[in-house]
Amino acid sequence: MPTIMPSAPTMQVPIPEPPRVITTKDLSYLKDAMSWELIAFKKLHAFAQQATDPEVKQCLEKTGRMHQQHYQKLLTHLQNNNTAAMSAIPQVQSGQQQQQQQQMQ
Amino acid sequence: MPNQNQIANPQSGQLPQVKGPQMNDRDYLNDCLATCKYLTDSLNIAVREASHQQLHQDFLQMLNETHQSAREAYDLMFRKGWYKLEAAQQQQLQQAHQQFSGYSTQFPYH
Repeated sequence: MPTIMPSAPTMQVPIPEPPRVITTKDLSYLKDAMSWELIAFKKLHAFAQQATDPEVKQCLEKTGRMHQQHYQKLLTHLQNNNTAAMSAIPQVQSGQQQQQQQQMQ
Repeated sequence: MPNQNQIANPQSGQLPQVKGPQMNDRDYLNDCLATCKYLTDSLNIAVREASHQQLHQDFLQMLNETHQSAREAYDLMFRKGWYKLEAAQQQQLQQAHQQFSGYSTQFPYH
């Protein structure tokens, strides 16, 4: 801790990269992608049951499984602990400064 | 006379002789391809807009796998003779090459 300038304003370390937080925008895209993945694998599963050619059946089945795996992968992102991630992030101080300025006025 | 520029397999997929309103194998595969193609568009936007690295990577991997999946459906349709391609005329190819070679005066890098 530097003691030379005790009254100096605390230097805020820049956040090195976007944190592992699901943003409002991420959430919109996740919900959108998952809705489409869900309908894709349900449909492909139904098609695979109906198809007669074994090669066609296998292709539909394989693609359906892939979409379900994608859905499950995206689901893990919805378990993100945003609260914990946010608590580790230095909060922008402009809010406090604004309050102080308002009190001064 | 068969078209000399056409690239296609003989139709080997089992399709009903008289086509009714029911979907057949070709329809299923076509819809599979269309679905994957649609999803690559959606995923591409998600890849571009993702906030943090891990999410970006996961979306990118899904985009790649979905492209591969669409390609497999397309390849299978081609093998079954459900996809026809047409070669461009040699002359048109040459003309385009000549035209775009002419633009080399505009190249900034030498």
